[in-house]
Amino acid sequence: MTTTAPLTHRDLVADTARRVVAEHPPESTPRAEFLGACFDAGLAWVHFPRGSGGLGVEAGLQDVADSILQGAGGPVPFSINPMGYGMAGPTVVEHARPEVAAELLRPLATCEELWCQLFSEPGAGSDLAGLATRAVLDGDTWVVTGAKVWTSLAHRARRALLLARTDPDAPKHRGLTYFVLDMTDPGVEVRPLRQMTGAAEFNEVHLDGARIPDTHRLGEVGDGWRVAMTTLMNERRAIGGGSSRRGSGSIGAALQLWRERPDLRTPALRDRLTALFALADAARLTGERQRVESGDRPIGPEGSIGKLVGAELNQAVYDFCMDLLGVEATLYGSYDPPDGVDDETDEHAGPHDVQRAFLRSRANTIEGGTSEVLRNILGERLLGLPGDIRVDTGRPWREVPRG
Amino acid sequence: MEFTWTPEQLDLRSSTRRLLETRAPLARTRELAEAGQRRDEAAWSAMTQQAGLLALGVPEEHGGAGGSRVEQSLVFEEAGRVLLGGPLLPTVLAIEALLAAGDDAALEEHLPGLVEGERTATLAVLGSTGRWRPSSPTTVAARSGDGAVLSGTEELVLDGADADLLLVLARAEGGPTLYAVPRDAEGVTVERLDVLDLTRPMARLHLAAVPARPLGLTGGGAGVVERVHRAAAVLVAAEQVGAMDTLVARTAEYARTRRAFGRPIGAFQAVKHRLADMAVQLEMSRSAAAWAAFQDPGSADEAFGAAVAASYCGEAFLQAAKDTIQLHGGVGFTWEHDAHLFLRRARAAATLTGPPSEHRAALVPLVLPDLVAPGHTEVPS
Repeated sequence: MTTTAPLTHRDLVADTARRVVAEHPPESTPRAEFLGACFDAGLAWVHFPRGSGGLGVEAGLQDVADSILQGAGGPVPFSINPMGYGMAGPTVVEHARPEVAAELLRPLATCEELWCQLFSEPGAGSDLAGLATRAVLDGDTWVVTGAKVWTSLAHRARRALLLARTDPDAPKHRGLTYFVLDMTDPGVEVRPLRQMTGAAEFNEVHLDGARIPDTHRLGEVGDGWRVAMTTLMNERRAIGGGSSRRGSGSIGAALQLWRERPDLRTPALRDRLTALFALADAARLTGERQRVESGDRPIGPEGSIGKLVGAELNQAVYDFCMDLLGVEATLYGSYDPPDGVDDETDEHAGPHDVQRAFLRSRANTIEGGTSEVLRNILGERLLGLPGDIRVDTGRPWREVPRG
Repeated sequence: MEFTWTPEQLDLRSSTRRLLETRAPLARTRELAEAGQRRDEAAWSAMTQQAGLLALGVPEEHGGAGGSRVEQSLVFEEAGRVLLGGPLLPTVLAIEALLAAGDDAALEEHLPGLVEGERTATLAVLGSTGRWRPSSPTTVAARSGDGAVLSGTEELVLDGADADLLLVLARAEGGPTLYAVPRDAEGVTVERLDVLDLTRPMARLHLAAVPARPLGLTGGGAGVVERVHRAAAVLVAAEQVGAMDTLVARTAEYARTRRAFGRPIGAFQAVKHRLADMAVQLEMSRSAAAWAAFQDPGSADEAFGAAVAASYCGEAFLQAAKDTIQLHGGVGFTWEHDAHLFLRRARAAATLTGPPSEHRAALVPLVLPDLVAPGHTEVPS
């Protein structure tokens, strides 16, 4: 009598990934075709239902698939379509009607359609629920007017996650509705937003009568805040994931600079560098411990620790690098947009990039949840402290002063 | 695997917590500190004879319970929660030293009494400088017949006035060597010290031609002390985590209940954010201390983990103790409130194994090995 060991979910994922790699060798398969095969096999998001790019298994097993696919030379789709993979996919699969999800997910997964996120506004950052972009129903089409800001990839994105106000007379959280916007709509205008580094990683997006079919609404009218929470939880997870290699990230850049510039070293700076290293390592180990302890369960409010600490660490590390450089820190590389580069990024590469990184790091404690908001989250949800006094609770959005 | 504790280890943690909460709670720590007593006798025998806490980390062939640094660190985390002081840390470190010296006769003679809690021991290894410099001890060993006699001053000896057995590091002809000396031996003069951390009595020992027995190899003492120094850093870090956990829980509770301007003070962001930072630093400390405890004693990873934990946790606990006082306002400054006991412990523990800057200096050859040229004196050892 023979018995067959039950196929574990881990085996299922690994076998599927190996089959995709065998049938679609990454080096000879066009990117979109390879990613399409991954989607069809259920490896784009393994925890999604079958038929929607997943296998219905634990999210923690995504690493098993990715290490096989990328280990064989496959592309890293998250880095091509970060908002798509990190936020749009999970939001669409959970909240879009099935035929719309079917239409949207595959081109997202193949990276033929890049995604961006239209949440923040010039008048609504941390207080996102106070946003003012209006969507008005006209027959079975929504007409959207307003301005969004801090949108990465908007100039190349085909689609956007959009949060807009549909009922100004309701209290702010209850008057919002969530949509998927076609960025090629004539009512959409994208303008690059130059930041203090001189580069333009982000855009402003002006919406002037942009039209969205009601079928591309995610969730109920007025239920947009709840849908947005799906997106934001996935955003923090994507940002907080971090590297788990000792001495990687910004502290690695500082160690590198220390190696390259023996002429600049002093005992006092050495102590600062090692203190930053200890801090970086404690942060890295905390991420690792949270992953081990949470297993396949989602991480709770303590997940905010990685973002909070990582952002302030980056700033301290580049403060250190500038002090190390001494008078040289007063120079700057270039304010010209780099030639032949479609998307400007502010990553560390080349001379005078410490200065650029120093400026760029100022955004770290603002983007993706300000440090002030994160401390509120930790204080209230981890330590059970009472919430702030709110003067807008229960009042119609229209009556709340805005600035 | 790091950060995965076995069910037995988790049981050890909860049984130790129960034991200390009933037999050695923080209120008892305060009574002992105010009375200048080193330990509660009933609690000590419950910890040692009943719970066998000193047998953890001792191999079974030496009458121990086996186990590893992980078990020890769980116990020290619980001890830190109630600021347990007295003979626990010095005796555990002395046991580590005896095991590291590997002297079978000495193990047979001393270990059973120490593990059972009938006798206590401590390290006298800082010499007259009071610094961790095991390669250059200041106490001197001279030949005397077929034995040795020790002369010198040993500063900052934990529990030094009461421990039964002293393990003294001395300069011998063959190099730094560890010696066993009964505290009541002729020629030992004990001077009790007034100390900042009232839970950890210390003494200055004067040794005047005290007969002593070498432990392990002549010249092997520095290696033994370095090994124990790392163990001390890992266990003190665990203590710091436990103490910080108490501070975060108590201060959050105070901020939820104390009212000012008609609201619990924890609703104000100035208070809330400081508490959030305390919680963050607690979680970071917990990770650093636990990772270090999971490394093999004597390994390079342990040296790395100990240096990170000692540097980070020491400063984090000190900050938490200061923040606790600030967030409690005036009541936190009174003698009656426990906050100062934590501040005293935090301040003393941050330098007990050397100041954080020394632990960071030890990181340099581990993080930037290519920068350590021959003859470079970046590492104090």
